[in-house]
Amino acid sequence: MRSGTLTSTAYDDVPYTRGGAVDRTEVGALVRSAVDGDAAAWKALVEGLSPLVWSVVRAHRLSDADAHEVYQTVWFRFAQHLHRLREPDKAGSWLASTARNECLKVLKGLTRLTLTDDPQVLDRASEERTPEQTLIDSEEEAAQAERIRRLWQEFEALGERCRQLLRVLMASPPPSYLEVSAALGIAVGSIGPLRQRCLRRLRARMDAREAA
Amino acid sequence: MSGIDDEPFPEEGFDDAGFDGELLEEELRQAAAALDPVPAELRQLALGAYALHDLDADIAELTFDSLVDALPVRGVPDAPRMLTFRAGALTVDIEVTGEGLIGQVLPPGPARVEVLGGPRAARPVTVDTLGRFTSDTPPGGPFALRLRAGGQVVVTEWLRA
Repeated sequence: MRSGTLTSTAYDDVPYTRGGAVDRTEVGALVRSAVDGDAAAWKALVEGLSPLVWSVVRAHRLSDADAHEVYQTVWFRFAQHLHRLREPDKAGSWLASTARNECLKVLKGLTRLTLTDDPQVLDRASEERTPEQTLIDSEEEAAQAERIRRLWQEFEALGERCRQLLRVLMASPPPSYLEVSAALGIAVGSIGPLRQRCLRRLRARMDAREAA
Repeated sequence: MSGIDDEPFPEEGFDDAGFDGELLEEELRQAAAALDPVPAELRQLALGAYALHDLDADIAELTFDSLVDALPVRGVPDAPRMLTFRAGALTVDIEVTGEGLIGQVLPPGPARVEVLGGPRAARPVTVDTLGRFTSDTPPGGPFALRLRAGGQVVVTEWLRA
C-alpha cells in the first residue's frame, strides 16, 4: 500500500493507476453492499462516480439534452446490472465504458440524420453559471475565478484529442488510468505521455495569453 | 522552451522533465467543478435509480441494435431503430419510430408488457395473443420494457432511443 499526497488512498499498486479521495478499492465493497440493499452504499457510489460519468459525457461534446439522457441511461443500466458486475472493483471502468458507448451511439445517430453544430459547451464559460456568482467574496477570489474562466476557455480551445482526455482526467475524484482508458478507448500506456503533452500545451496557451 | 535565464519560477519551468502537470490538472478540476459540475437534478436521478435494482427480474441483453449493427439505409433519413433483446429462450424485437414503438415477443404467445421510463414511470401496453404489441408514444428518453411471459419476468437493458 502506498500513499501519495492524497488522503485515505490505498488504491492499486499498478504504477499507472491513480486514485482520488474515494478509495477505489472501496468501490467493490460499496457495490456488494448496494446489492444487499444498503442505500447509503448506493449513494456513496453516486457521489464518488457521477463526476466521472458526467466528464465522459462532456468529453464527447453532446448537446445538453443528449448528455442528460446518456447520463441517466448509464445510471439506470448500472442499477440494473449491479448484482451481475463481473468485477465490482472496476465499477468505475464499467460506468466509463458504458457512457462512452452510449455517447458514440448518439453521435452515430446524429451523423445519420444531420450534423448538428452544438456550441453550448463552448459558451459555458461566459454564460449563466459564472464562478463570480459563488466567488464574489473578495477580490482575491474574483481574480481566482477570472483565472479559472480563462483556463476553461483555453482548455475548450485545445485540439479535440487533448480536450477530450483532459475533460475526463479532471473528474473529481481523479479517475484511474483504467477508467480513462475505458472512457476514451485508448491504451492505458498512452495516457500518461498524452496527458503530459496536453497539459504542457495548455500551460503554453495560458502563458501566451498572459504575455499578450 | 527551456533555458530562459530570467525565468522567474525555474522550478515550474517548461523543460520536459520539470514541468509539473499535477498542479495544472488540479486547477482544471476546480474549473470543471465550478463551471461544468454534474447538474443537481441528474445527481438526484442517479440516486433514485437505485430503485431500478431488481433481483427478481432477468435482464434481457441487447443483442442487435440497428444503429451499431446495420448499415444506414440510403435515402431513408428517419429509418426506425431496430432492437433485439434476449434473455434465455425469450427474445423481444422492437422497432422505435417517431410515432412510437412496435414489438414482438418470441416465442409467440401471450405476455404482459410495460414500457418503463424511469424508477417511477411504467406504462402498460396492449399485447395480442401472439405477443405483438404497439405503443403510440415514443420513448421520451431512456426506456426499458418489463415483460412477463411464460412465467418469466424480464427487463430489457436500459437504452436511450
